[in-house]
Amino acid sequence: MNNGHKIDWVKLFLDNFIWIIVVLVFTYFAVQVPNFVTPGNIVNILLHASVLGVLVIGQAIVLMTGNFDLSAEGVLSLTTILAMWLMVEPRTDAGGAQASGLMLSPYIVIPIMLMVGMLSGWLIGIMITRLKMNNFIVTLAMQLVLRGIAMLISGGQIMTGSPPLFNWMGGTRINGFPISVGVTLLMYLVVNYLLNQSKFGRELRAVGANTDAAHASGFDPQKTVTRAYIISGFMGAFAGWMLLGRLETSISTLGKGMTLETVAAAVIGGVSLQGGLGSVGGAFAGVILLSLIDNALNLIDIDPFWVQGIRGLIILVALLIEAQKFRYKPKVIHENGNVIVEKQV
Amino acid sequence: MNTVKVKTEQKPILTMRGISKAFPGVQALRRVDLNVLTGEIHGLVGKNGAGKTTLMAVVMGIQEPNEGTIEIGDRTYQSMNPQEAMQAGIAFVPQHVAMMDSLTVAENILAGELPKNKLGFIDWKSVEREAKERLNKLNLHLDVTKRVEGLGVAEKTMLAIAKALFGNAKLIILDEPTASLSRADINRLFDFVKSLKEKGASFVYISHHLEEVFEICDRVTVMRDGRIVGTEYVSDIDIPKLIVMMVGEDVEDYSRKSTCTDEIVFVLNNLARRGYYEDINFELRKGEIIGITGLQGCGAEQLGKGLFGLEYRGVGEVKINGKEFTAKKPIDSFNEGLAYLPQDRYRFGLIGVRPVRENVTYPILNRLIQMINLINRSKEKQIVEGFINELEIITPSQEQPVRLLSGGNQQKVVFAKLATTKPEILILHEPTQGVDVRAKMDIFRIVDELASQGVAAIIISTEIRELMGICDRIIVMNNGRITDEFLKGAKNTTPENILDAIEGGKNNHE
Repeated sequence: MNNGHKIDWVKLFLDNFIWIIVVLVFTYFAVQVPNFVTPGNIVNILLHASVLGVLVIGQAIVLMTGNFDLSAEGVLSLTTILAMWLMVEPRTDAGGAQASGLMLSPYIVIPIMLMVGMLSGWLIGIMITRLKMNNFIVTLAMQLVLRGIAMLISGGQIMTGSPPLFNWMGGTRINGFPISVGVTLLMYLVVNYLLNQSKFGRELRAVGANTDAAHASGFDPQKTVTRAYIISGFMGAFAGWMLLGRLETSISTLGKGMTLETVAAAVIGGVSLQGGLGSVGGAFAGVILLSLIDNALNLIDIDPFWVQGIRGLIILVALLIEAQKFRYKPKVIHENGNVIVEKQV
Repeated sequence: MNTVKVKTEQKPILTMRGISKAFPGVQALRRVDLNVLTGEIHGLVGKNGAGKTTLMAVVMGIQEPNEGTIEIGDRTYQSMNPQEAMQAGIAFVPQHVAMMDSLTVAENILAGELPKNKLGFIDWKSVEREAKERLNKLNLHLDVTKRVEGLGVAEKTMLAIAKALFGNAKLIILDEPTASLSRADINRLFDFVKSLKEKGASFVYISHHLEEVFEICDRVTVMRDGRIVGTEYVSDIDIPKLIVMMVGEDVEDYSRKSTCTDEIVFVLNNLARRGYYEDINFELRKGEIIGITGLQGCGAEQLGKGLFGLEYRGVGEVKINGKEFTAKKPIDSFNEGLAYLPQDRYRFGLIGVRPVRENVTYPILNRLIQMINLINRSKEKQIVEGFINELEIITPSQEQPVRLLSGGNQQKVVFAKLATTKPEILILHEPTQGVDVRAKMDIFRIVDELASQGVAAIIISTEIRELMGICDRIIVMNNGRITDEFLKGAKNTTPENILDAIEGGKNNHE
C-alpha cells in the first residue's frame, strides 16, 4: 500500500489504534475481573461478538455510503420468528405461540429468511433513493414494522424447538469452540478483502464521500445505496439464523437494542458517519471491544441500571472521537511557493 | 456617463490592508489593499475566480483572512465574525435576496422589533405606519401590506437595501444586483442607490456589466488572480482600459498550431431545453478546440452538463461519429467517448477523501475488473503511475487523498480521470479556475496534446483571453442562444469585440 515509500509509522499506529485499545482493555479486565479469562467466558464473549459482528458488517457497509441502517435488529427479530412459524410443530396445549403447521424443511426456511432480509433491504433502498425519504427515519420505522410483523405472527409469545438441521450454524461446537465464531471470522476476512479489492467497495466509499462526484464519475449512487441495504438485510437475517440456532428459541423482542451497538461498533472501528471512510476490518475491532466491555459489565457485580448508562456513554465517546476527526484545524502545506490549506467548512 | 467630483474631506469607511487568504490549492487573495470612501459607490470588477467574492466574505466576517487588517470607521480588526461586521455597519445584498417571503413588507422591515400594544399583542396599525414612515424617509414607495414574494426582483433588492440602512448599515455590498433586471428596473434601482449615496451611504458594487459600473460608480477597483490590479476614478478611464486591466496583458499567452481536421465527430442539431437554451447548432471536428463563452446564465453551463448526462438535455439531436447519442447517465457518455470536466471540482470532479489512484480510475473500473468484481490492482497502479508522470502530477504517492493536493494538481487528476476513458470529445467547464499560472499552462498543454491526438474539445469559460489562445473558434451565447462566432486569427477576434458580444444581449433587450 505504501508504494515503495517508507512505512508511515504514525499512520500505521493511528489506523490500528483501536486494536491497541482492545488489547489494553482485555488486559485490564483479565487482571481486574474475576473469571474473565476462563475458556467458558471467552467463548461467551466470542458468541456475542459473532452475532453482533454479522450485523456490524451490514451496518458498516451502509455507513460507508453515508446512510444509517437502524432496521437490522428488526430483520433479525422477524426472520427468526418467521422461521419458527414455518418450521416448528404446532402446539397441542393451550397458550404459547402457534406455528403455521407447514413444518417446512430448514433447507427451505433458511433461504426464505435470507430472502426476507434482502427484500427488506431492497424496500428500504427504494424508499431512500427513489422516494427520497430520510434514511434515518425510514430504517427506524422499518425496524418497528418488522418487529410488529414478528409480534403479529408470534402473538408476542416465545416460540421454541427449532430443529437440529436448522441449529447447526448457531449451535455446533468443535472441541468446545462454536463454529459460528469461525464463520463470522471468515465472513470478515472475505468481506474485508472483497471491499478493498472490488469495484463495489470503491463505489460504496465514493458514493458515501461525495454522491455528486460519484455520479459524475460514472457510478449509479441509487443502485449502490440500495445494494448496501440489501446486504445489510441479508446480514440481519444471517445473524438471526445464527442466534436462533444457538438459543433454539425466539421471541419478537429478540435483538432489542442491538442497533445502536452496531453503529457504535462500526464507528469505534473507524467507519465514518460522514461516509466514504473506514473498513469492515476496523469495525471488527469495534465489535470485539464492545463485546469485551459488555461481558465484563455482566461479570462484575454492579447495579444493572449502571450498565445501560455505561453503554450509552461508550457510544457517546465513540461519536465524540469521530466528530473530532473532522474538526481538526487544517494543516498548512507549502508547495512550489504556494501556500496550500485544506478546505475548511 | 457621469463625472464625479470627489470631495477631499471624504473619509474612508473601509480600509483593508494586506489581506491574504488561502484555500486548499488556491491563493484566493494576495495582499489586497482596498479602501472605500464614505458616500461613495465603489465598483469591484474582475473575472470569476479573481477573488471578489472571497474579499467581500472577509469584509463580512465570513472568512477569516490569513493576514492583513480591516479598518471600518475608526476601528481596526484582525478578523471579525459576522456579528461584529454587521455591528460595524457592513451589509450584504446578494443577487437573489433572501427574505421572509410569506410575510409582508412591513413585517420584514420591522422583524424583531414589532411594536406591541398594552396587551402584549402586535399592534398592526403602528407596524404599517412605522414601516411606511421609514420607507418614505428613503423615498422608497412600496405597498407595505404586500407580501414580499409578490415584489419584483428590483423592488426586493431595494427593500433589502432599505432594510440594511434601517439596521444602521454604513457600507452596503451589492452583488450583481442587475443580473436579472430589465433596463427600466435597472434605472429605478440606480436612481435609488444614487439618492442614498447623496444621503451619505456607501456602496461596494460588484458587477460583470462594465457599462453599469461607469453609469453608477465613482471609483472602480479591478481584481485579477487574487490581486488588486488598480483602483481608478471612472472619469479617468474607459471600458477598453478596464478590460485590459481585467484580462491582463502581462500574462504569457498560450499559443498553438491548430490541429483541426476535416472529419466531423460531434454534431448538435437544434438542441433546446426550455428556460436554458434553444436553437443550438454546431459541429465539432477531430482535433478541433472550440470555446463557448457568455455571461452567467447564458445557458452554456447547462448545455455542457446536459450533453454529458448530469442534467436533462432537452430536445434536439446529438450525434457522435454520425450515431445518434443520448446520455442518460454519465457512464453512458464515458463509454461513448464523451468526457466532461466540471467547473466545481470539489463537488463534481473529485472525491476528496479518497486517494489519487482511486479518483483517476473511477470511470474505467469495469475495464479493470479481472474476475467477478475484483479490480486488477497492479494494472491500475501502472495506469495511474503513467498519468502521474505524463501530466506531471505532484503528489507524494498514489495513495494521497486528493484534497491534500494543490488546485492545479487536483485539476490534473481530473484530467487524468477523463483521459483514462480515451475520450473522443472533451467538454471542459472552466478548466483553469482556481489554479496557478504555471498549472494553467500545463493544462493548456494537456488539452493541446489531446487535440493533436484527434480529441475534439469544447471549453466553456469566461476567460476570454485564454480561449483566444487555445481555441480554433469561440462561440458566444446570450440568453440561451448562440449569437456570435469568432474565428481564431480573424481581424475582429479581439477581447473587446468578444466582450461586447457577450454583453450585447444585455444591452439590447429592454
